[in-house]
Amino acid sequence: MNVKNIFSQFKEGLYKTRKEFANKLGYLFSNSKDKSEFLDKLEELLILSDLGISASTEIMNEFQQINFREYKENNFIFFKEKLKVILIDILNSTAPNLKIDEDRMNIIMLVGVNGSGKTSIAGKIAYRFKNLNNNLIMVPADTFRAAAIQQLKILANKVEVEMVNTKEGADPASVVYDGINAARARGKNIVIIDTAGRLHTKTNLMNELEKIKRVIQKEADDCSLEILQTIDATMGQNAIAQAEFFNNSLGISGIALTKMDGTAKGGIVIAIKKELSIPIKLISCGEKLNNLYDFKAEKFVEALLD
Amino acid sequence: MFANLTDKFQRIFKKIKNKGKLNENDIKNCLHEIRIALLEADVNYKVVKEFIDSLRDKILQEKISESLSPAQQIIKIVNEEITLTLGSKQNDLNVNPSPPTIIMLAGLQGTGKTTTAVKLANYFRKKGHLPLLIATDIYRPAAIEQLQVLGEKTNLPVFSMGKKESALNIVKAALKYSSQKNNDVLIIDTAGRLHIDDKLMNELEEIDENIPLQEKLLVVDAMAGQDAVNSAKVFCDKIKISGIILTKLDGDTRGGVALSLKKVLGVPIKFIGIGEKIENFEPFRPERMASRILGMGDVLTLIEKVETAYSKDELKKLDRKMRNHNFDLNDFYLQLKKMKNIGSVDQIMDMVPGFNHLKNRIDVTKLGEREGELKKIEAIISSMTIEERENPSIINGSRKKRISRGSGTQLSDINRLLKQFYQIKEMFKKKPKLKNFSFN
Repeated sequence: MNVKNIFSQFKEGLYKTRKEFANKLGYLFSNSKDKSEFLDKLEELLILSDLGISASTEIMNEFQQINFREYKENNFIFFKEKLKVILIDILNSTAPNLKIDEDRMNIIMLVGVNGSGKTSIAGKIAYRFKNLNNNLIMVPADTFRAAAIQQLKILANKVEVEMVNTKEGADPASVVYDGINAARARGKNIVIIDTAGRLHTKTNLMNELEKIKRVIQKEADDCSLEILQTIDATMGQNAIAQAEFFNNSLGISGIALTKMDGTAKGGIVIAIKKELSIPIKLISCGEKLNNLYDFKAEKFVEALLD
Repeated sequence: MFANLTDKFQRIFKKIKNKGKLNENDIKNCLHEIRIALLEADVNYKVVKEFIDSLRDKILQEKISESLSPAQQIIKIVNEEITLTLGSKQNDLNVNPSPPTIIMLAGLQGTGKTTTAVKLANYFRKKGHLPLLIATDIYRPAAIEQLQVLGEKTNLPVFSMGKKESALNIVKAALKYSSQKNNDVLIIDTAGRLHIDDKLMNELEEIDENIPLQEKLLVVDAMAGQDAVNSAKVFCDKIKISGIILTKLDGDTRGGVALSLKKVLGVPIKFIGIGEKIENFEPFRPERMASRILGMGDVLTLIEKVETAYSKDELKKLDRKMRNHNFDLNDFYLQLKKMKNIGSVDQIMDMVPGFNHLKNRIDVTKLGEREGELKKIEAIISSMTIEERENPSIINGSRKKRISRGSGTQLSDINRLLKQFYQIKEMFKKKPKLKNFSFN
């Protein structure tokens, strides 16, 4: 797939967000009569974008030191550049994006709270790697939600990849066990595991995920394991708690930010990265199978501010 | 529920609790902390602003009453303000005097519309209605099947026509069908949609224009952030939403969206979803939610729940036992079973003043949580003699061994059970107030 193409789509998807943010930024800057008014407006903008009080306060502090008059005269490019640098700084990560190790089995497990978009993104990831000539199998470990298995089956058929069969109520860990063995037997190099949505506060359900992880480690200890947590871009500060709990339980390797096609600003990504240092790896922006993009801090912030 | 906001407020008030008088600085600090707490709770920025302004005025105007400490007065004012923002009274659903009553659920993707539809149908069935669920999500893969499966499991009828017909046509056909089957409440489950998706928003408008809807309910995720107000506004503009259902309140979300939506939209919150089970669904009580946010516990909701689970006689008996401290293992087991019907022990603890602190220290909250735990407890208790159940203090090492063999459990299970039992007993001793609301 053409990298340039991916980015232009990514930008297009973010267009609404970007326009709103940039417009507000310009307005914010040119209509403030003094520093305190400007900082008030900056706070409003950041909070309304779901950055959260902690990240917002840190950003505000950086602007506290600035001689406001000087900046005003030099127009808001300086200001924008400074904001950009701060945001990129928070978002930057040394962790690689989602990639496939050619020498061994790759297991991608999706976890997250109810309704955050796990099954949809499972389909999108399958679509991406299928097009890169991989041999995939999908594992419906959400045996709890009514018709979740059928939903994944429909997506698997659409993408033309296999899915392990199971039925509602089956033990998710044993479905995963079957999935790994089926993958081995059929020579698959990628296993995508869709799990049931669960609130991070439900201890027994979190234990169930830990059990699945243990099965993976036992049955495929040589695999490359990627545990991705889906975070809904419309979520507020509770997403930080979600990420924290899932990370403590499982060790999250990355976040997939979903539902970026609405008007939510997705600022929660910045808060999560700042608070927990969990890298954001994927961004989903639309309902089509190809609406999935690698997350890049610079481009994300650029698309947001340009 | 709302745990963090509650904690915050409690911390703030702890700071000022012991002061006889508050100076201007105290009030400023207090307002500052409340503001941060509300923003962290995802209350909309603009709502917080208004809230704090009106709070400041109130606090300054308020005459210092002799009977209350300044901290108590601020608690009172904050409580009043939150209640005011949430809406002042409970809002019931409109039921059509000449059936059927038609209710449409709408909302963003993944907010819990389908689950809510089934819960709502069950709510009406319990009230003696004959509900019919209508599956109109013709877009998301297996969405119709999801509703069908849930309908089958809960024995509720589901009307569907597959994915070929338009949503409006499905509803029209369902109307015809329901008149033959005498269904008096029709609940339309619609596809999740973005508020900026004009095509799908038109679909809702089309149903609204052609079908006489008694209620148009917006399903909102309680974990939603600042944008919730924006999307909800568009839904309101397009189809004039009549009420809101807040879902996923069983997590630890601070649920600030509850405060925002009522204020910004002027639309009442009617129900809340508090768990994955069909009965984890209840009417929204603004005045109670406020005291819950403040950490005062939702005593009223508890009374109601306890009342439906226990008969008056049972309550009297339990109360007598607690008062006389002869609450034994038989009662313990009975309570556990009852509590399971009411909700998780955790939920109940949240609602009782003082207990929400206590519960962090003891593992009693884990009791109802694990599947099978109750069975284990049942096995252990039934392996005890009558004497042991009534007077657990006689259970020594050799008795424990016998019970463990008899029940097929580990000694550690028995020890844990006894520990939990004593903890609960101790709690009841310390909290004689419990009886005040156990049968009012």
